Amino acid sequence: MGFVSTKELLTIRNLRTSFRIKDTFYPAVDDVSLTLRKNEILAIVGESGCGKSTLATSIVGLHNSIHTKVEGEILYNNQNLANLTEVQFNKLRGNDIGFIFQDPLSALNPLMRIGEQIAEGLIYHTKLNKKQREARVLELLEQVGISNASRVANQFPHQLSGGMRQRVMIAIALSGKPAIIVADEPTTALDVTIQAQILDLLKSLQDEIQSGIILITHDLGVVAEIADRVAVMYAGEIIEEAPVIELFRNPKHPYTRSLLNSIPQTHSENEKLEIIQGMVPSLMKLPREGCRFSSRVPWLDESVHEKNPKLHEVGPGHLVRCTCWQHFYFEDKEGSVNG
Amino acid sequence: MANKNKKTVENFKSESSPPTGIQVVLREFKKDKLAMFSFLGIIALMVAVFVIASWIIDKEAVMKINLIERFTEPGVSGYILGADEAGRDMFGQLIIGAKNSLLIAIAITILANVVGITLGIIMGYYGGFIDNFFMRIIDFFITLPTLMIIIVVVTIVPKYGITELIFIIAAFQWMSTARLVRSKALSEARRDYISASKTMGTSDFAIMFKGLLPNLSSLLIVEVTLNFAGNVGIETGLSFLGFGLPPSTPSLGTLISYAMNPIILSSKWWIWLPASILILVLMLGINYVGQALRRSADAKQRLG
Ligand SMILES: Nc1ncnc2c1ncn2[C@@H]1O[C@H](COP(=O)(O)OP(=O)(O)OP(=O)(O)O)[C@@H](O)[C@H]1O
Ligand code: SF4
Ligand SMILES: [Mg+2]
Repeated sequence: MGFVSTKELLTIRNLRTSFRIKDTFYPAVDDVSLTLRKNEILAIVGESGCGKSTLATSIVGLHNSIHTKVEGEILYNNQNLANLTEVQFNKLRGNDIGFIFQDPLSALNPLMRIGEQIAEGLIYHTKLNKKQREARVLELLEQVGISNASRVANQFPHQLSGGMRQRVMIAIALSGKPAIIVADEPTTALDVTIQAQILDLLKSLQDEIQSGIILITHDLGVVAEIADRVAVMYAGEIIEEAPVIELFRNPKHPYTRSLLNSIPQTHSENEKLEIIQGMVPSLMKLPREGCRFSSRVPWLDESVHEKNPKLHEVGPGHLVRCTCWQHFYFEDKEGSVNG
Repeated sequence: MANKNKKTVENFKSESSPPTGIQVVLREFKKDKLAMFSFLGIIALMVAVFVIASWIIDKEAVMKINLIERFTEPGVSGYILGADEAGRDMFGQLIIGAKNSLLIAIAITILANVVGITLGIIMGYYGGFIDNFFMRIIDFFITLPTLMIIIVVVTIVPKYGITELIFIIAAFQWMSTARLVRSKALSEARRDYISASKTMGTSDFAIMFKGLLPNLSSLLIVEVTLNFAGNVGIETGLSFLGFGLPPSTPSLGTLISYAMNPIILSSKWWIWLPASILILVLMLGINYVGQALRRSADAKQRLG
């Protein structure tokens, strides 16, 4: 594992991103604070619909200001990305921040050659001429492990395999030598063997270019493999954040624990899969006050809940929302993973 | 056998890609002989008309009034298609008329579609307020009585010729294209590759016209072709009604309008019939081509 510097690259403070549905704004990301350091892989995990993609797209400013409100601070290089105009953002995107999409087939323009798509960012952010750009494109393709680079550069997305396409996406994200890479489920659309290759690639590239990576995933296996730090999201909020080893060894919040227990364990077959029943409520159905998680634990006694559960530091770099995880600890000790 | 198997596997590996647009179109035209024939026929016809009208026929000579040759029948004294009441060569007029009609239709199609496509893409890409605003304008234009306005303008504009006609008709032709393109662009602009382009810092303008536009091309080709067929008809219709071009500028419409004279209609068929047949053939042919293109743009309707 690379050396994680203490220098903060990106600081998110009290970020709230709300979507407008019938003239009311509903927060899909609420009061999220995170930091990303140089050479660090910060994983964000959570179920489908918990706001991971919304968080990611807020960082790169992909929200349309009419339908979406992005409030709070996303500080990078003394600028608040939440307040940037489109033109200001265009200077950063593709240069300082790279973005990797989940499904490379839909994220590549079907009618543009691979080479042109990789060169796109170079046109806007560098002074390279056409020849130099072509050379740089081949260099990038080789960097992401594509061997017959000059052929691939002349092909269209549908002519490549899924794994190759994702490598191309990564090459595109890398083209500006970004300080920050945001990857939204970069391996979800790929099959398992390719997933491992793409993760290895990300890891080795990071060692090379030393950028900070925000890796969004719902796959804790991925997290265990390459992340340095993990933030667990539920219904738009962070409910637990810890260094990866700490989180796996000593998960506090019942939700985190249920996520960990629901990783299929292949080595002990009779171990029960444990999940918390239900799913993330849709935006409009989320409780407007009180704890958003309470609907998932209906068996809990009312007195246990907190009105406005806050994040508490329970160890070095280990934050947990609410203090009542302590109650939980006793209640389901039998099923505990702690030990 | 083993060899053959290996080949299929290879093919599957490298070319499991969907056929490209041009391949699909070619396949569709191979299946639909009528469309293929129409396409080749129209291209040949258009080339012939432009070549003959520009280099072979002398326009001055054709339009010269020669009362002695009044109503010469086809085939007599060198008049392939006879002569009209002023003794002007009908064949020459037909070719020049066809050229004018086609040029007008092409100009209207280009003008209306450039406006329609540009606006449609902008509306679809930005959505929201911009979309609503232009949608209202389009709604307004659509409710206007087009023909009446064109007729009024034609009557009050003093110096009225080809250019004016083109602009007036085009002013009422861009809306349907804009609406169609807008609805497709609206869904296309929500696709990931557009967001991906944004994450590269690409400007909106480049995304719209370099990234998005090519992905609408199958739709656009169909739209433009069918519009073209319609515009050949519109010019003819207006000229026929006497609101198109002045008689000194021959067009297919002005030639057909000679048929309003009952004597010419009943006994001097060579004056109006060739132009009528030509316009019919042109419009039908372009329509067949357009429909074959439309089928190839929509996987559900394909024949081949
Ligand atoms: N453009 C939008 N307008 C309205 N609501 C939205 C929009 N995009 C997302 N949402 C809602 O915001 C919530 C969070 O969505 P988001 O896509 O961020 O989840 P996610 O964690 O990325 O899920 P997944 O794992 O399925 O990708 C969901 O309830 C979703 O329905
Ligand atoms: S115990 Fe705390 S975290 Fe759990 S549901 Fe209640 S208030 Fe929320
Ligand atoms: Mg998502």
